[in-house]
Amino acid sequence: MLEVTFADAALPTSGALGLLVAESAGASGLWHEADEATGGAITRAFAAAEFTGKDGQTCTILAPGAGLSRVVAIGLGKEADLTPRKYEDAGGSLAATLAREPAAALAADGLPGAHAAAAALGATLRAYRFDLYRTKQKPEDKPKLAALRVLTTARDEAETAWAPLKALANGVFTTRDLVSEPANILTPAEFATRIHKLADLGLQIEAFGQEELETLGFGSLLGVSQGSINPPRMVVMQWRGGGDDKPVAFIGKGVTFDTGGISIKPAAGMEDMKWDMAGAGAVVGLMAALAGRRARVNAVGLVGLVENMPSGTAQRPGDVVKSYSGQTIEVLNTDAEGRLVLADVLWYAQEKFDPRFMVDLATLTGAIIVALGHEHAGLFSNDDDLATKLLAAGEATGEKLWRMPMGRDYDKQLKSDIADMKNITGRPGSSITAAQFIARFVNEKPWAHLDIAGTAWSSKDAPITPKGATAFGVRLLDRLVADYFEGK
Amino acid sequence: MIPSITLTRSTTAPALVVPVLAGQIPHAYAQAASADAFTGAPGTICEIFAPPGRILLTGLDEAAGACAAARLLRTPHIAIDAAGFPAATAAALATGAALRAWRFTTLRTYEEDDAPRLAAIDLLSDDPALPALWPAAHAAIEGAALARDLVSEPANRLTPTSFAAHLAPLAAAGISIEILDQAALTTLGCGGLLAVGRASAHPPCLAILRWPGQGGSPIAFVGKGITFDTGGISIKPAEAMWDMRADMAGAAACAGAMLTLARRGSPAAAIAILPLAENTTGAAAYRPGDVLHMLNGTTVQVVDTDAEGRLVLADALDYARRQSPRAIIDLATLTGSIVTALGHHMAGAFTNTPGLLAKAQAAGQAVGEPIWPMPIADSHRRALDSDIADIKHCVDGSGHPDACQAAAFLETFAGDTPWLHLDIAGMEQRDAATDEHPTGATGFGVRLLDRLVADHFEAHHG
Repeated sequence: MLEVTFADAALPTSGALGLLVAESAGASGLWHEADEATGGAITRAFAAAEFTGKDGQTCTILAPGAGLSRVVAIGLGKEADLTPRKYEDAGGSLAATLAREPAAALAADGLPGAHAAAAALGATLRAYRFDLYRTKQKPEDKPKLAALRVLTTARDEAETAWAPLKALANGVFTTRDLVSEPANILTPAEFATRIHKLADLGLQIEAFGQEELETLGFGSLLGVSQGSINPPRMVVMQWRGGGDDKPVAFIGKGVTFDTGGISIKPAAGMEDMKWDMAGAGAVVGLMAALAGRRARVNAVGLVGLVENMPSGTAQRPGDVVKSYSGQTIEVLNTDAEGRLVLADVLWYAQEKFDPRFMVDLATLTGAIIVALGHEHAGLFSNDDDLATKLLAAGEATGEKLWRMPMGRDYDKQLKSDIADMKNITGRPGSSITAAQFIARFVNEKPWAHLDIAGTAWSSKDAPITPKGATAFGVRLLDRLVADYFEGK
Repeated sequence: MIPSITLTRSTTAPALVVPVLAGQIPHAYAQAASADAFTGAPGTICEIFAPPGRILLTGLDEAAGACAAARLLRTPHIAIDAAGFPAATAAALATGAALRAWRFTTLRTYEEDDAPRLAAIDLLSDDPALPALWPAAHAAIEGAALARDLVSEPANRLTPTSFAAHLAPLAAAGISIEILDQAALTTLGCGGLLAVGRASAHPPCLAILRWPGQGGSPIAFVGKGITFDTGGISIKPAEAMWDMRADMAGAAACAGAMLTLARRGSPAAAIAILPLAENTTGAAAYRPGDVLHMLNGTTVQVVDTDAEGRLVLADALDYARRQSPRAIIDLATLTGSIVTALGHHMAGAFTNTPGLLAKAQAAGQAVGEPIWPMPIADSHRRALDSDIADIKHCVDGSGHPDACQAAAFLETFAGDTPWLHLDIAGMEQRDAATDEHPTGATGFGVRLLDRLVADHFEAHHG
């Protein structure tokens, strides 16, 4: 992780310097000092590059003098629109632009400490790399940025704001690491092993293997995993920071690889199915973040970890399984497996923990991408209040949600000829009917389902998210807890 | 065809529908209801054969009229006994029954013995408010029936040109009809509509329907009117292509709504702009990659000729803007994407004015034509960047949020006019009849638009 430190605002005499510039703002503070020290190099460069501080604009000035290796200015956009999110994005863009500098300073003088910390968070999140499997990268091709010194006139305030954000970044990276791992490495058992390592943060962790799940009667989850030689796990993480309060519960779909099973997927693009555990990955990262920042809440995270493979022992289309809830399911398509995993884990979560609410995350349907694309995840809920809070947390963190409908007409489509329900419907409205299926396993608890199939992985860089695993959900749900459920 | 409805206090009909509230079975039927374990629960029916004929005790809910009619489709003459219920309930029962009994009979040359033949409904009511309320309710039935009839017409009968002839009932109701033909469209510069329609033997046109109301700025409806959609050069698979006769359901809904407003004498001025074209293949067909000059001056790069609806709507939206409307609402069977998103139970709603969408959503809820808000996000807008023109009209390939991207495209043509786009694909027809709905065309949108106008665009006419 990028090493972030906060220092008093004094112009550095070497290395790189970042400036955050609001639209049409005049030079002041460190910016003004740097401009003076370099004989007006910054002012001249801004004029030559027509840099005015528009949102997303950058201007790089190499070796401007005064010992500085480069000055990078990032446009913030209009002063009236400046939210902490803008500073996160600007920090992220700065980190991307300074990737070749081993160490850099950011001029955050005059900013509230929270904004300075937000910029540091953005830089940290953007500087993430998953390099585990690169053995031949040339040194000159490797990003070098390892440390960022934030120059601030509100040092105490910034450091206080940074502590929980650092824990949050650690949670995000935990998720990105898990989601990036290939499926031959990250089996359900290995996934569980990695979760156990988070016990150091103060999480209480319990794992359930094949036999325990059989004893419990997780017929729906076990049906999915029965085709794989890698046995399933359910892992329960508890963070107790909220006294005797009822916990909030987060449930993640963790299909470590999804071939589709006997209803096998087409070959093209199947490699993406290594991240069909991104919901579980997000829950683990979220729990790490909550524990890392000692959140004043009781939270429980549950992940159902399975691999969905075709084989002689695999579940068949047409099989009927008995879920942990007692309800029977006719499995008409073995590639609609995520909901089968969630069904048992959700029922267990509400029965065991009687939570205040449950939020599940799942890379569940391709239909949600056809519906919304890659900017919003689909939000389905039986509780308007919870949905409203989630939408607000999404706006605040940039992990945006869009509410989708539910209702009796969609639920009726799940009717089976021989069991309580079937696990698929036709393509029309299939994200909604998937949510209706899951809703049958929440036992009327306040609940929301986030279909993150379109947002868990990014094919291109975004300001605070390098391409690849996004960890969508971690910042969103951390914010949900912080804004609405801590100490309340 | 819809049944005739007579407001009366007595009837000779051999079948009587008796709506009942749960637990409040009329004394005369208590014994029979008890024998059938009928409690009057919403959505349930108890059928009694007693003098003078059949009696259907029907648990009252929104669908009660329709469900009762579904049981009585082969009875030519029925009555609904709404005595004791408010006029609004009586009207809703009759509306439900009439729309359930609707059937497109124009092209049948003989009828099977078991064919539906429900042709007359007596509505028994003791609420003196009913006669004043009924004309508006009946106008909505007529509008919905017109839209359904238009959607049902096959494409060899309903061409862009003959569509205009089908609008005769509107003229009789006081709506003025102007048709801009191909030459006029060329003069005007409707590059989108002209390109889509140019390969067909039936040239495109723009129909403009005007209801003056009591004056003032109109509310504008824009309806996609592709009388048949082969997909053009980006031709569709043969399977299910026959359904594409219904790709003018948006235009049909607008025409139906105009008829309703006129028949009930709405004080609100309204205008409907219907771009009518057949999208087919041919030597003159527009091609993927072509760049079109649209009516508003924008250049558009064509990616897939089967995304033609947004091209004809774009020109129609601009034409609508030139009428200085209070708001524009367009309806279109636009994308398969919206069907994947919302299925067959709701239409997708996109807007630049959330307040307008909320009003339409409430109106849709009230009449049983539900819509759901969908996003237009920056990523959808950026996806339309073109390398050589101002904008692309869609994104190549499948699996994209095409409904949102189509809305992002249309948004640029709506400009700053309050605008609502309803993607009604998946809602225009039903594959099979249900208790509540007949098979085939739905007329989706007619009653929603009528209700929206009634609730929000008539008040200041006082």
